[in-house]
Amino acid sequence: MSVKFIMPVFLQPVAEEKEFVEVEGNTVGECLAAIIKKYPAMKKMLMDGKGKLHNYVGVYVNGQDAYPNEMQKAVKTGDEVHILYTLAGG
Amino acid sequence: MLNNEELQRYTRQIMVREIGEAGQEKLKKARVLIAGVGGLGSPIAYYLAAAGVGKIRIVDNDKVELTNLNRQIAHWTQDIGRLKVESAASKLSQLNDTIAIEPLVETISESSISQLTADIDVILDATDNLATRFLLNKSAMDLDIPFIHGAVAGFEGRLTTIIPGKTPCLGCIYHGDIPKQKTPVIGVTPAVIGALEATEAIKYIVGAGQLLTNQLLVYDGLRMRFTILGIKKDPNCRFCATHPEK
Repeated sequence: MSVKFIMPVFLQPVAEEKEFVEVEGNTVGECLAAIIKKYPAMKKMLMDGKGKLHNYVGVYVNGQDAYPNEMQKAVKTGDEVHILYTLAGG
Repeated sequence: MLNNEELQRYTRQIMVREIGEAGQEKLKKARVLIAGVGGLGSPIAYYLAAAGVGKIRIVDNDKVELTNLNRQIAHWTQDIGRLKVESAASKLSQLNDTIAIEPLVETISESSISQLTADIDVILDATDNLATRFLLNKSAMDLDIPFIHGAVAGFEGRLTTIIPGKTPCLGCIYHGDIPKQKTPVIGVTPAVIGALEATEAIKYIVGAGQLLTNQLLVYDGLRMRFTILGIKKDPNCRFCATHPEK
């Protein structure tokens, strides 16, 4: 059992075109580290050099906005985490 | 009062239980601002004009280019080089000559925003960058009127309705700006999101149904997913933290 991360369309090409990725971890940050270990190209797309999420990346745990301190947010087996990119087109 | 032509023109929607003649009269009296008449603004403007929204102010400072025509359906090949607001206004007036279209050639900026949003009941987001959206969001707070947010890229879209004092605002959802860029997009995506923005505006005006408040719709056209996520007020939001609660 694991935590299910639903990936934004923009990140799917670097995640083998997968809509979601399942990983183990106790926090959002631990899970993202596991995802990045599997898909290293994703790191720059999610966070800056200090490991802080870009301000255009949103995290929603079980359908609820996890801001602020998203990386420290506790997660458990069976949780769903949506990663969102801010869109600006019109 | 609705005249005979209006009663006939809007027969099918007056038959909708949640609209009726009373709702149609509310639509007739309503004044909306559509900020931008590009990919999102085109379907928003068409559907609100067709629905009989009495006054539609459209704002844009761009001219029509060939590269717009895959998605900006208010503009046609013959309009290339024409001001977008003039191009759109001519189509909207032909679609419905009983309503007032107010085309404004203006850049939405800190200095122009109060003039653009004056005497407006609802602001609809049809812009192409986050900085302008934040300006509209702030203006909605200042005027205490709804701001219907939509955005697109590729096959993806976002939608939420912001009611000042009641719901999270744009600053609660998006915590920083992103650089202005040419966004890749297929025309059907702003068609979907624009139609949904117009739906929210009509519901607000006539008082029907439930608005998409405190929630963010995430549309993924590639997998045909409509996901609703919960959003919440940011107590430190630079726009709404000090706005009085309702």
